[in-house]
Amino acid sequence: MKRILGIVALTLIFASTSFAGPPGNAHHNTGCGLGTVLFQANANDSSLLQAFQATTNGTMGNQTFGISSGTSECTQPKKFVQNERLNEFVYANLDTLAKDIAQGRGESVQTLAELMQVAPEKREAFYRNLQTHFAEIFPRENVEYAQVVDTIVRLSS
Amino acid sequence: MLHRLAYPLFFLLLFSSLPGAAETTPYRDELKESATKLRLPDDRYWHVLLHYKPGLFGTESLVDDPKFFLSPEGKHDPSAELNAAIDGLFAGGLEEQTIPRCRFPARYDWLIRRLTVDLTRLPEVSCPTLEEHRKRIDAKSASLIFASGHMNAPASMFGHTFLRFDSSYESPLLSYAVNYAAQIDRNDNGLVYAVKGIFGLYPGYFSILPYYDKVKEYGNMDQRDLWEYRLNFTEEEVQRMVLHVLELQGIYSDYFFFKENCSYDLLFVLEIAAPTATLTDRFHRFTIPIDTVKTVRAEGLISDPVFRPSQARKIRHIASSLDEADIGRARSVLDNTVAPREILAVDIPDADKGKILDLASEAVQLRYAKGQYTKEEYLRRFLTVLSARSTIPAAESLLTPIPAPEQPESGHESSRVALAAGIREEDPFLEVSGRPAYHDLLDADDGFTPGSQIEFSRATVRYYPDTGRFRLQEWDLVHILSLAGRDDFFRPVSWKFRTGFATKPFPGGSDALVFFLNPGGGMAWDIRPLGLVHVLLETEVNVAGRFNPDYTAGVGLSAGILRQMTRSWKTLLAARQMAGVLGDEKRGREFSAILRQGISLGHRRAIFLDVGRTISPGVHYNEGKFSVTFYF
Repeated sequence: MKRILGIVALTLIFASTSFAGPPGNAHHNTGCGLGTVLFQANANDSSLLQAFQATTNGTMGNQTFGISSGTSECTQPKKFVQNERLNEFVYANLDTLAKDIAQGRGESVQTLAELMQVAPEKREAFYRNLQTHFAEIFPRENVEYAQVVDTIVRLSS
Repeated sequence: MLHRLAYPLFFLLLFSSLPGAAETTPYRDELKESATKLRLPDDRYWHVLLHYKPGLFGTESLVDDPKFFLSPEGKHDPSAELNAAIDGLFAGGLEEQTIPRCRFPARYDWLIRRLTVDLTRLPEVSCPTLEEHRKRIDAKSASLIFASGHMNAPASMFGHTFLRFDSSYESPLLSYAVNYAAQIDRNDNGLVYAVKGIFGLYPGYFSILPYYDKVKEYGNMDQRDLWEYRLNFTEEEVQRMVLHVLELQGIYSDYFFFKENCSYDLLFVLEIAAPTATLTDRFHRFTIPIDTVKTVRAEGLISDPVFRPSQARKIRHIASSLDEADIGRARSVLDNTVAPREILAVDIPDADKGKILDLASEAVQLRYAKGQYTKEEYLRRFLTVLSARSTIPAAESLLTPIPAPEQPESGHESSRVALAAGIREEDPFLEVSGRPAYHDLLDADDGFTPGSQIEFSRATVRYYPDTGRFRLQEWDLVHILSLAGRDDFFRPVSWKFRTGFATKPFPGGSDALVFFLNPGGGMAWDIRPLGLVHVLLETEVNVAGRFNPDYTAGVGLSAGILRQMTRSWKTLLAARQMAGVLGDEKRGREFSAILRQGISLGHRRAIFLDVGRTISPGVHYNEGKFSVTFYF
């Protein structure tokens, strides 16, 4: 019986190694710039664990009531500081925003336009303006969200 | 300074509470009397508010956190809790979190309405934090959100549901999402995780987060499509849900992943808005998220959804609109052999250049999410691709909308019974089989992840009329199969896990019940026009007294082609060769080949036709069977 258990264990070990997904590091970076991934990539875990995780829909975070997420650890934008929602949105969506600004369209630039109260008839021009100034808005890899907000505000005023 | 402040405060409290105390007692009794007269402790809404359900030992709230109850008997006694709530009406104070009316706003909103409470006869309270949260959430309407399965994790096929409070902003990204989930321990391994999840050892909490965070979590990290179903609730009804969610802040219920799970607890919140709908009472042992969507739809609370594709689907869609050469260009940008700027110089239309760079930037993000790039490498690649991309005007690269797959709630029902007739060699047989959940590889894919199977406890009983033999043919405790096609941008691993009992034939015409455990891993490719071609390396352990010694363990290969012939007809051709390496090695040797056909007749019925051949030393037989399947 012991041998059987041993075999079963060996089979399971084979199973778990063959299920292991691609290796990688979890991203727990918090920061004020690009490449800040808020959630750990599930792709890092073995599929078996993933299968269980997906079933329970577990959360590991402790941020259960994130009604206002806060950007206090970062440098604040110069202008528009009173627009807390804008700051939070840009802070939390910087990568998507970079992509949408480069493409001149997308849900995140639409949201940006709404938060900046750009009139609907002026939005196409707003998107186009941001697109042509992409290099100015994202001049460096370590650009922080506050500078992005400042540049966008300057470009659209 | 303190003294000067404290004295007036003291007198203020003294004067505001003293005359009150004399007057409130009769009013309190009056309210309690009318609550009894109105039978409020038995009122359905009171039970929804406190999550009361009939239990083994009488009524019991499914909320386990003592902080949720004002009465020490509150968990088991709706009447005591109601009396305590009436007492709570007369509580004032300065600390918002200790004032019952601020802490449990949905409860008091209802109580005050039902008892037509005269607010002027109560101490004045203000709940600034509560008001601030309500204002921030700014709920005008609400949506039920369904997250579909993860490409390579069949267990996630059960899906996930959460709620979104839609604000007065046009952009849904700015709305808040309400999610119920188990708070798990990061250090737990898969097995501990499963055990704790099944037996309710994790606490479940509600959370509120911006919807854009959920979109990132599901759409970009997990690659799960989202379906957004607008709920037909009035603003007032939605506001009640907000109050209830706020009163559940920091309150736990034991999380059971089969029943009291993410989707089940959300149904209580929906019942707050729609108390006449029967939602929580429909689920007894299992709460499968997609089944809750079907139930909510059957109650007429939602209509057709809005589809929000995952990043993976977006990548596949862009790739499908490009030819081989352009996909090659995107790949070489990704592999760093061509600089993004060089794409701009290629003699192709601007629209295609845009798509090539879009494909590259999405894929760069995907690789970063998977941990294949360091942050520095990601940022450098991401920004160079985007800065090249920003030189192509948007109008030049409009993408066709991403086609939505079949709505998840349109799929077949989860439970299944089948009646079958067949023949093994010359021996006819009849079969009955059933499974509580969830999806077989050959079941229709509408609303499910193609190439996946997840079945729990499928049992098959077989009867051979000629010899009178009656057998437990198969009892699959768990049978998971995930065949995920590999392509230019995705390299998923395909895998299987199957364990249970099966009756296997032995030489000389006898048979025996065998326990088996059979995991495997491999790869799959979607090769047109063949279908999903897959190869898996498998191991298998079989245990039974008939083996000599009493087990056999083997390794082997399996390969097959799964093909969607028409929308409702699927075919699987598969073969498997195992070789015994330990124990009863001779009996471990087995070859089998099977051809299966599944034809779906709507989401309640299907027919299957299986033919196969099995050869092992001293045993070989052909078998065919025809089955009619009913889903319910």
